[in-house]
Amino acid sequence: MSLVKRARYHFMKDIGAPAVMRLSGAGRKKGPGRPKPGFGPGLNCAVRLKEIMTRHYFLSRYAEGAKPVAWVTSGAPVEILRPFGFYTIYPENHGALCGAQRLGPELCAEAEAHGYHQDLCSYARIDLGHFLSGKTPVGRLPRPDLLFASNNICQTVVYWYRVLAHQLKIPLLLFDTPYNFEDITENDVAYMVRQLEEMIPVLEEVSGRRFDSRKFQEMTGISRDSSFAWGEVLATMKTRPAPMTIFDAFIHLAPIVSLRGLPVALEYYHILLRELRERIEQGIGAIENERKRLMWDNIAIWYKVRDFSNLFAERGMNFVTATYTNAWAETISLMDADRPFESMARTYSLVVLNNSLDHRLQLMERLIKEYHVDGLVIHSAKSCKPYSVGQYDIKRLLMDRLGIPSVIVDADITDFRAYSEEQTRTRLEAFFETLEG
Amino acid sequence: MSRREYLKNQKQKGRRLIGVFPAHYPREILWAFNSLPAEIWDPPLDIEGANAHLQPYICSVVKLGLELILQGKGDMLDGFLFPHTCDSIQNMASIVYDYLGVGKPCYFFYHPKAPYRPSSRRYYLEQLKSLVSRLERDLGPMDENELRRRVEQGHHLASILREIYDARRRGGLSASNADFYRMIRQGEYLHPDDFIPLLEDFLKASRGGDGKGPGVILSGVLPNPPEILNLLDELGVRVVDDDLLCCGRRIPMHTTMAQDPFEALVDSYFAMPPCTTKDSPLKGRVDYLLEKIAASKAKGVIFYLVKFCEPEWFDVPCMAEAVKEAGAAVLTVDVDLNQGLSGQLTTRIEAFVEMIGRQQEA
Ligand code: SF4
Ligand code: SF4
Repeated sequence: MSLVKRARYHFMKDIGAPAVMRLSGAGRKKGPGRPKPGFGPGLNCAVRLKEIMTRHYFLSRYAEGAKPVAWVTSGAPVEILRPFGFYTIYPENHGALCGAQRLGPELCAEAEAHGYHQDLCSYARIDLGHFLSGKTPVGRLPRPDLLFASNNICQTVVYWYRVLAHQLKIPLLLFDTPYNFEDITENDVAYMVRQLEEMIPVLEEVSGRRFDSRKFQEMTGISRDSSFAWGEVLATMKTRPAPMTIFDAFIHLAPIVSLRGLPVALEYYHILLRELRERIEQGIGAIENERKRLMWDNIAIWYKVRDFSNLFAERGMNFVTATYTNAWAETISLMDADRPFESMARTYSLVVLNNSLDHRLQLMERLIKEYHVDGLVIHSAKSCKPYSVGQYDIKRLLMDRLGIPSVIVDADITDFRAYSEEQTRTRLEAFFETLEG
Repeated sequence: MSRREYLKNQKQKGRRLIGVFPAHYPREILWAFNSLPAEIWDPPLDIEGANAHLQPYICSVVKLGLELILQGKGDMLDGFLFPHTCDSIQNMASIVYDYLGVGKPCYFFYHPKAPYRPSSRRYYLEQLKSLVSRLERDLGPMDENELRRRVEQGHHLASILREIYDARRRGGLSASNADFYRMIRQGEYLHPDDFIPLLEDFLKASRGGDGKGPGVILSGVLPNPPEILNLLDELGVRVVDDDLLCCGRRIPMHTTMAQDPFEALVDSYFAMPPCTTKDSPLKGRVDYLLEKIAASKAKGVIFYLVKFCEPEWFDVPCMAEAVKEAGAAVLTVDVDLNQGLSGQLTTRIEAFVEMIGRQQEA
């Protein structure tokens, strides 16, 4: 790491970033403004969230050469990187950001021009497109020194990170989490623990720092507390009317994905939670007239979040839970800072996408009951096979068992070339009729 | 004898039939249980029922496998084994087990993913033993001597396959491309007691090709549609080697008979060529392909890919670039299984062959 770059990083952290944050929040200090028709007042916290994420991407430009940089998959046990001081970048979060700004097809096309097939996961294509062209709405992403992946969400991330490792000639650390077709076994846990132990010398070499187990435990504790707080944030939506919508949660998810294990994420969720509890006390709902409560399945359709949010709110329909947002809270009770390796193995390998479809069905049944859900919108995401394969059966079984009506929306997480407005509208109209009928 | 007749016959002989989905699994263990793995890659079926369970963007290996179950074509089978190959197979296995209720034992086999570390080896060994105990619950105890015998047989089979591949690479095999793969792919359901003599006869009968015509290497999952092989035969092109998941990529590069048969199986697994479904580093895959090009003097590589196959498609751009840099030509085909050859694909293959033919003459 270079001394000059380190000094520049610290200057930006202490002086530059606060200035940028002030600017990004400027003019918004008074709150989110007048509510949109059909909605309750917006969340004040949105301003703080924007500051945090702007700061994160802004500072990342100065991290290269000043701090060890790792690109990390959303489900990887990032806690183990924290004591080594890695600046962590989440290409999936960057992909979501590009998707929300409707840049998906443009960045995907860059990857496609280099031979990456249009049928591949669009988070991967966006990232490879960014890597090959330098295009990004966040200015610049720092070049990584290390790639850190876990296949607990999909095998795809590993195929993708293998390409990066090959192109950049840097190490790829994989946390291999055996898929739970049935129950997790002691052999599985022991295998994962051994992998974490084997990672330490590599992390020491890449970062130039010795492993500090006390710090590791401390940061694991922060991570656990943040995920708990995130879980409580989501749980506020059990209240009628729900103080936020799942479309808010898609956005407020960013710190738990990208800044997990850092105090800033924990502080943020405490602030958000306070605000949501106040809203509950005052009976403030995210939408004006919450008549129907819905569940969302799969990752967001990032380029449609705003449109869908309006479309459903107009009809007094609020999304109050999602398998997706729940993923960062679901297994956190297993995390134990006193037994970090073993508990991390369980926490990370028992997440929804690393479990059988039967597990997913049970989870959805539980969420439907706890959140008093009236209907389900299933996003069949062309990018994401592990999330999507099995949805047709889940739809049928939830109808048979709980009488829950549902609709499948064929789309993609970021690549709107795989989306038909007309087909979606027709399906949703039929769904609305069923719900109202 | 057709595949179905053969399997029926084996069943009559008292062997249990286990339907196995792609790709990597320890078949020696099944043999040791007097069971026969009948692999399910590309059954010749029309996809109907599977579309009610799987989205249009799922590969046809997975769709055809599920279709086989839905159409009751697997009724003869005594159970299923699902190796952990990719996201699509993983979820399809869960659909079968959790939702369809096939009423037969289903076994899952998770193999550790690369980059390999000491923990990978230990875990693989534990996985082998765990598979044995699960099979023992349904099939009765396994005799460890029988396992040793089957592991040795597996090694013998691998050495014959390597010999056949070597002969082909050196231009010393007269079999057509279509005949070659028809023979090799019988290993997907023949018992080794039957397959080994068949391969030995094949090798004897087809030694001594003229090595004429430009050579190509196939990379991908499986050589289907087989019409591509016929076309290459017609055009005088020799497939000199392959990096196909269902063929060459499952032949260990070397084998050693460790004292313990389980250890020997572990050695074999880690001696397999690099593979996407095991997350092998891309550099290993590139180097492996380049070595094959150099050893066989191939003029080109055909990436013979199944539509929607993520594991393979991610590697293609880097692999293709390396192949071109090594001076060989590249053709990428994106196919649905059992769909035959379209006019457009025929034209592309012909153009590719013409190009490598010109290189050959030069
Ligand atoms: S969208 Fe799905 S396939 Fe793509 S990286 Fe995320 S989990 Fe994996
Ligand atoms: S063809 Fe590819 S995607 Fe399909 S089952 Fe095989 S490895 Fe998986």
